[in-house]
Amino acid sequence: MRFFLYFCTLNCKYCKYTCLMSDIYSIVTSRQLSYEQKVVALAHAAEDTLSVLNVPETTRRYFEQGVICNLNEGNAPYRPRYIMPDYEKAVRQGVKFLQLEPPRDLDELLTFLQVLYRHVPSITTYPVFLGDIDRLIEPFIEGLSDDEVKRKLRNFFIYLDRTITDSFCHANLGPQATRAGRLILDVDRELEQAVPNLTLKYDPAVTPDEFAEKAIYTSLCVANPAICNDVLNSRTNDRYGISSCYNILPIAGGSYTLTRLVLPKLAAMTDDLHDFIERLLPDAMQCMADYMSERIRFIVEKSGFFESHFLATEGLVERDRFVAMFGLVGLAEAANHFAPEGKKYGSDPEADAIAEQIMQVIYDFSGRYECPYCEIAGHRLLLHAQVGIDSDHGITSGIRIPVGDEPESIYDHLRHSARFHRFIPTGCSDILPFDITGKQNPAAVLDIVKGAFKLGQKYVAFYASDSDLVRITGYLVKRSEIEKWNSGQAVLQNTTQLGAPTYASAHLANRKLRGV
Amino acid sequence: MRVRKIISQSTVDGPGNRTAVFLQGCNIRCAYCHNPETQAMDDPEAREMSVQEVTAEVARSIPFIRGITVSGGECMLQAGEMTELFRAVRQLSIESGHPLTRLIDSNGTIQFAEHAVLMSLCDGVMLDVKAWDNAVYHRLTGAKDNSAVIQNMEWLLRHDKLTELRIVCLPGMVDVETILEHIAKTFDSIGKIAPVRLLRFRPHGVAGELKNHPMPTDEQMARYTALAQRLRLDVSVR
Ligand code: SF4
Repeated sequence: MRFFLYFCTLNCKYCKYTCLMSDIYSIVTSRQLSYEQKVVALAHAAEDTLSVLNVPETTRRYFEQGVICNLNEGNAPYRPRYIMPDYEKAVRQGVKFLQLEPPRDLDELLTFLQVLYRHVPSITTYPVFLGDIDRLIEPFIEGLSDDEVKRKLRNFFIYLDRTITDSFCHANLGPQATRAGRLILDVDRELEQAVPNLTLKYDPAVTPDEFAEKAIYTSLCVANPAICNDVLNSRTNDRYGISSCYNILPIAGGSYTLTRLVLPKLAAMTDDLHDFIERLLPDAMQCMADYMSERIRFIVEKSGFFESHFLATEGLVERDRFVAMFGLVGLAEAANHFAPEGKKYGSDPEADAIAEQIMQVIYDFSGRYECPYCEIAGHRLLLHAQVGIDSDHGITSGIRIPVGDEPESIYDHLRHSARFHRFIPTGCSDILPFDITGKQNPAAVLDIVKGAFKLGQKYVAFYASDSDLVRITGYLVKRSEIEKWNSGQAVLQNTTQLGAPTYASAHLANRKLRGV
Repeated sequence: MRVRKIISQSTVDGPGNRTAVFLQGCNIRCAYCHNPETQAMDDPEAREMSVQEVTAEVARSIPFIRGITVSGGECMLQAGEMTELFRAVRQLSIESGHPLTRLIDSNGTIQFAEHAVLMSLCDGVMLDVKAWDNAVYHRLTGAKDNSAVIQNMEWLLRHDKLTELRIVCLPGMVDVETILEHIAKTFDSIGKIAPVRLLRFRPHGVAGELKNHPMPTDEQMARYTALAQRLRLDVSVR
């Protein structure tokens, strides 16, 4: 049995979240929802009684057909979907609303952050971004021994894992190597937890090999951290962070919304590529973009978030640093649909050329559309390779190559990624399971990362074939917890419930193993 | 050149990620050989490849590799071809702007000192020290004695071309302790050092009498490591 945390009244026929608990009484009396889940579900249900967004008939139809999907953001958005508070500023100036003075030592800092995290809103109700955690901690550990720091960090991380029961939560490391960063990696490896997700921002000119190798070694033990191409991503945003799965967003800002275009559903409406590119795609994109604008206007003009929430009033987020994520999913299946029989995205040049043609059209549109209140993005939409949801069957994440179709050579795989990553500024990633021999030679894995990043690949995550923690689509889940869940036992993390069916339905155990 | 196989992504043939070229043919017969099929000078599964063909394969791995390693069999049996390959790979580095180191993995039975051009194109050698005592060496490899290996070790060390010394740890068949002690002495007398890697014997791929021989235990490996550390060697285990 699954929980349905989110509501939506758009009635998309393909979405399993739709109104399954629209009956408020059934939420209240549910035996499957925990207390917190009931509160969230009730809030969603209440939000969805409103109909404040102007959704034209054509758009509504795309929703019903599953072509456009708002990922259960609700009918009357009262906060941006992803919020990236400026934690460094908070630590410097304190937070008046929470009656928090600037912390003076490590204990005060960790308490400060725990309190602040608790009050950061998001789509999941949990914070999706925990900051550049090494940089935040580094100034507070001077004079403390490694053991002391690790003891405190261990408690801090346990607290996060057990209270943020959702792995769509991300802390960042690097690109500079710090003592705090090293200790965090040690603690992460010892604890083997799904929360928080960690990503190392990697710049070969700044990050020492030894630190990057330590991160990779950790990753081959506990599937964490992922590695992000700091050179390319910092070109898009002056100060960026990685949140949720792998969303690259401005710090002190975030994203108002993430709506996604389900390309295979749209492709299914025609067999003619020309018709798809000239007529269907532009129409669907226009509808989706207008819908996103409508949401943004409501958040900014009506919801009062930016006038009243302490993060905004105390300058920890700034309205003009929010963007709009234009999500895509299933590029592979869409390209395969138009490719000659048997030709496949990822391994065949013809299918790849079609995919590139489709991407170019979408990219051009995103760069042309005038999006309200998106100053930092030059009022443009920013593309995002949406990772998928557990009800997507036969639809591959974002622009990834479907499991089973991966090229024989890891180099070809990464070249392929680089070719498509260049279109995507707000998050795309590859996940590579490595043979365990990689663990003995993290320098070799780093060489591969360096090569990939040089070619334009933007973000990569690994795990070792023998690791309990695995990356599902972007978030982490323990294989042992999946087994527990599948055998009918209760589990703590929401994301285990999402991950279990995805691990099976997307055949993730069959991902091509990389190594020697 | 006579090529057994090319592995475009290898994490076990030297520092970093490398493309490894395995040449066909070996001049000794180690009892613990993992690739006995590479011993014969020819084999239906080996193929004749030109230096250009091998270089083209290497080019496909750029920019993901740090360099190439030529291994075997015993690659020094094809020293002439290897020299040409290294020259071509150096040219490839220059043209692609991607640095590529060129390493040799050898059993040390052929004198490096006699291949000056090759050595000038080569960044270093990973040398197998299979045994120290001649009788042990003979029993393990079938070869007469290991004086060539020892001379090579000294020569490479003096010329800063010794990337790594490798010892396959197989208690009873390999005099690991003696090797370690003599390596330490050699380092002392020459005044230079090189990393030492202890490879745990694994029966995988092995044919003949050692096919079902057990791997050394963790305790045994720990004892070797402790000795190496006592001798102040830069030691690692795999
Ligand atoms: S030198 Fe290497 S290839 Fe030759 S027999 Fe010994 S282990 Fe096998």
